[in-house]
Formats: sequence, structure tokens, C-alpha cells
Amino acid sequence: MVSSDPILRLEGVVKKFGAFTALHGVDLEIREGEFFTIVGPSGSGKSTMIRLLVGMDEVTDGAIWLRDQRIEAMPANLRPTCMVFQSLALFPHMSVGQNIEFPLKLRKVASSARKERALELLDLLRLPRDYYDKRISQCSGGEKQRVALARALAFDPEILFFDEPLSALDYRLRKTLEKELKNLHQRTGKTFVYITHSLEEAMVMSDRIAIMKAGHFEQIAVADEIYGRPVSRFVAEFMGEVNLFEVTSRDGTTLESPCLTVKSGTTNESLPAGGNGLLMVRPEFIRFCGEDESPDYRIKGRLLEEYALGSRIQYEVETETGQILTVEKLRQDRASSGDIGSEVMLGFDAARTHLIKDT
Amino acid sequence: MPASRSTRIVLFVYGLLVIGLLYLPLVSVGFASVSRARYLSFPIKKYSSKWYAEALASGTVRDLLWTSLSVAVIVTILSVIIAFFGALAFARYEWRYRTTFQKLILLPIFFPQTVLGLALLMWFNSLGVIPSWKTAVVAHLVWIAPIATLIVAIRAYSFDPALEEAARDMGASTPTILKEITLPLLMPGLISAGLFAFLLSWGNFPLSLFATGADSTLPEWLYAKMVSGYSPLVPTLGIMSVVASLFLILAAFAIAWLVQTIRDSKAAQ
Repeated sequence: MVSSDPILRLEGVVKKFGAFTALHGVDLEIREGEFFTIVGPSGSGKSTMIRLLVGMDEVTDGAIWLRDQRIEAMPANLRPTCMVFQSLALFPHMSVGQNIEFPLKLRKVASSARKERALELLDLLRLPRDYYDKRISQCSGGEKQRVALARALAFDPEILFFDEPLSALDYRLRKTLEKELKNLHQRTGKTFVYITHSLEEAMVMSDRIAIMKAGHFEQIAVADEIYGRPVSRFVAEFMGEVNLFEVTSRDGTTLESPCLTVKSGTTNESLPAGGNGLLMVRPEFIRFCGEDESPDYRIKGRLLEEYALGSRIQYEVETETGQILTVEKLRQDRASSGDIGSEVMLGFDAARTHLIKDT
Repeated sequence: MPASRSTRIVLFVYGLLVIGLLYLPLVSVGFASVSRARYLSFPIKKYSSKWYAEALASGTVRDLLWTSLSVAVIVTILSVIIAFFGALAFARYEWRYRTTFQKLILLPIFFPQTVLGLALLMWFNSLGVIPSWKTAVVAHLVWIAPIATLIVAIRAYSFDPALEEAARDMGASTPTILKEITLPLLMPGLISAGLFAFLLSWGNFPLSLFATGADSTLPEWLYAKMVSGYSPLVPTLGIMSVVASLFLILAAFAIAWLVQTIRDSKAAQ
């Protein structure tokens, strides 16, 4: 259960490497029991962030609180948290059982109790009990993932951190493990902090997502909020295909772009007179209109390309003013479009748009 | 594409020639050691183990072996210790001038050993140190420790630093990480480095020649006896030295095998 109390709190955390600043005074609160994911492109500072959170690097400035204990100066081996590494970091010279028991052995748990716990964890992660004696090199990619998870759970951490543990797996296995992780989170009730560059992974598993860019958080919210109401062009574009109209408010009542005029107040926000913004419409909310349909807004264009994306079809349409719009339909709704090069009428409703003030 | 029959025959004969070229001289030394005659001539008229009996009974030979063994064992132990920490320093830590230091440390390998030996001798003299087998240990270390470091470093570079980080993350202290993770994973490299260090020291002539002073190692004695005062004790001791090296290699394999077996049986429990 996600509680409203923060288990982990960051206050103005700064991390510098020489002259380069990797994190610029980051604030963050992670709630007890939540599945929190930090997403960002490479170089955004997410790996630096997790290394600070587990204690493998020292902060340059700022504070990290675990409940009411300040921990930023506490070394990794004294923190009650544990991480599943990108490379998994399973010990190749130990068996599966010895790997899982490693944190218990460090705590001087008796060997019979250790084995009992290791077998329980094999059960929890749906690995056969006879894997206890297997060598790590005999396990498949997915099995290694489960062993790494079992080892982290044997540690019984207050917070379990994940540093892109699924990135090296093939698509199908990744999908299966994403669901298993989500399920495991629910069953154990632990706080999971997950780092990934894959938006899809974040959307499937997380209670809340933080989008990271150049050493700061651009937006922290639930998945729907981030997808539907991004705060910036970066978030909007990072969260998948998007159509953005650069709009200017003439007099505070209408938003104008070269191919579209929108009445202010029909979207979530309004702009002061002379203000600039971005009006966002996701591709799945734009449709091809017939004569009899009356969407809030209509745009005339020419069909440029059609791409098959499995269950969906994506279209590129060029408006009369030269802007390229992306439209997506489910495969079963394909017929209505027409031929490549033909004139089409696009339509969408005001309720499906979102105004980004910060351009 | 599989090689044709004639190519295979040519390769086979070539292989035999290479092996013959490598081992025939050693075989002739072997023959010389079991010939009763003072000077080797083929065919051997009378075989004898007389020289072996004489070697084993000789006090000089015992002293030579003892000196060589002492130097080689101490050089091996020190080299492995230096190599372990040196390799970790290179592979695990980022520090200023690391690559420069790495090159400087490895440079002695590329010096001709005679030049290195001479330089060390002059240095010992200027410091007022009287050369003995102990200074030979220092001389051997200058040349052998870098090689051992290189061997261990190859192993250290190939293992994921995340393994040590993961152990620390789960609560392990630095000594525990060293014992449970780093040492077991570097062990194959340490064993090879130790083996190389021993063999290089055991068989070294140029450095010993300059650095041992009044003491003498086995290779030095063999050379001196070849130059003046040859006796079949020379090939006999040569063969005994090779056999001792062989035993060492076999012992190293046996230890590696034993460690693996114990680990497997532990894992199976």
C-alpha cells in the first residue's frame, strides 16, 4: 500500500564531477511502498542519482533523508537499502543458493535458516528449488534476473533500487518481467525505485514517474498526467509521438497558429495577451473527418505516408501551412483514410488538447 | 573450407619439425646427463646414474639449489603481493598520472636484463650494499613484479567492478569484499602470476650474474662450469632444474583443480 509519508527525501542535492554539474539541486519525495520510476535519456543524470541514493557516490551538496535519518554521508554497506544492478552483478564463483544467501551470511544467519530463506525466495520468484545448487553460468537471462531479485529481497531492504535491470533482455522477456516486477511489488509491499530510459517500462509498472533532463526533474507525476498534461516540450516529446502547434495569444481570448485558431478557455490553461505556448494533441486523438462530422477543430491536409505499427497504423499528414502532423488509428479503423497523396480533413476536440505554457 | 590432404600432411610435418627443434636440445642434455663418459659422444657407450647420485650427495649442489629456491620463493611471494595491489590500483581506481605510472612501472620489462643488472649493481655499490642473494631478490623483483602485475591486471580488468559494489551494497566491509569476492575472482590470475614469477626467477641468469655477489644461483653455476671446468654434473643439474619446474607446473594445476573441486562440492552441499 502506498502511504502518504515519504520514506526518502532529497533536499537540494547537487553532484559535481570536476567542473561538470550532473545534478542541480534536486528535491524529491518518495512515498513509503510506492513504485517510483525515474526516466530520462542517457546523460540526464539518472545513474548519478541512483548511485547517490544507494551510497556509492557522495553528494557535493544537499541532504538525503531516509524517514527521519540523514543518510547522505552514510556508506553503502551501512544503508538499509539494496540495488539490483544493470549487469545484475551476480557472483560467478558462487552457486545460485550462495548468491541469494550472501546478504544473510554477512549478517551471520545460521546456514539452515539461510537455506530455508533462499528456498522460499526461489519459490516466490518461481524458480525451481533445484536451482539452489546451479552455477550462475547455467542460468538463462531471465533466470539470472530472478536470482538477482531474490538476492536483493534476501537482504530485506527498506527500499529496493533498480538500475535498468531489464535493458539487456529481449522484448518478450522484458514484457514478462515487467509484469512480474509489478506483481512482486504488490506482493512484497516494499518501496521500489526504478531507473530506466524506457518510457514503456515506466508506464507499465510505476505509481509515479519522474522525468529527468540535464540534471533536474522536469516533471514528477502519475503516468496519465505526464502523458496527457506534460509541462514542457521535452516531456511531451519524450513521452511518445505528439503534435505540437506553436500558438500565440493575440488578445488573451484566442490562440493562433498558422494552421489553427483556438478559443482561449477551451483548453486547460490560457495565455496572457502576446504570450506564446504549445498546443498539444496526441496522434490517437486526431481523426479523419467526413462531411457529416463536426469536431471542435478541423485542419485540411494531404496524406504523405502510412506506417504499419503492428496493432496500430500511423499516418503523416502535411497541412496547407506545411506542418507535418502525426495521426494514429487502430488497425481495425484503417479504412477511412484514403490514398497516399490525397486530400484529407483532420479533426480533434478541444477537450483532447493541452496547452504547454513553457516553450 | 577444410584443408586438403596434402596441406594437412605438410602442416603435420612442419609441426613435428618445430617441436623437434624446441625439444631436441633438451633431449641431448638429458643424454649427456646419463652418460658415464665425461664428454658426450653418440652413441652413448655406457649409461649411468652416477652423476645424479653425485649431484644429490654434493654440498655445493645443495647450496646452489637452496639459494635459487630461496630467491625464487621470496620473489614469487613478493611479486604476487605487489601484483595483486598494483593490478587493483590500475583496474579499479582513477587517479592522476595513472596511465603514465602504469607505463613507467612496466618499462623495466623492455630493458635488456644485462643493462638492468649492471645498473642495479652500480646502484647497490653506490648505496654501500654488499651484493648477495638478497640483492638478487631485489633485482629479480624489478623485472618480474611488473610482469606479474600485468598478468593479474588482465584478470582484474576483465571482472565487473559492480560485483564488488554489489557486495558492499549488501553490507560487506572492505576486508569481507576482498576475501569473498576479489580474491576468489582474481585467484586464477594470482596463480598464473606466481607460477611465472617462480619460473622466471628460478631460471634467471643475467640479473643474478650482476646482483648475487659471492652467492651463486643454479643458472650462474651452470654457466660458470660451462666456461671452465665442465663436468656431466652440468647437464645433470640442468635436467634436475627442468624437472623441478615441471613439478611446480603440475603442482599448480593440481592446486587449481583441487580448489575447483572443493568449490563445486561446497556448492553441491
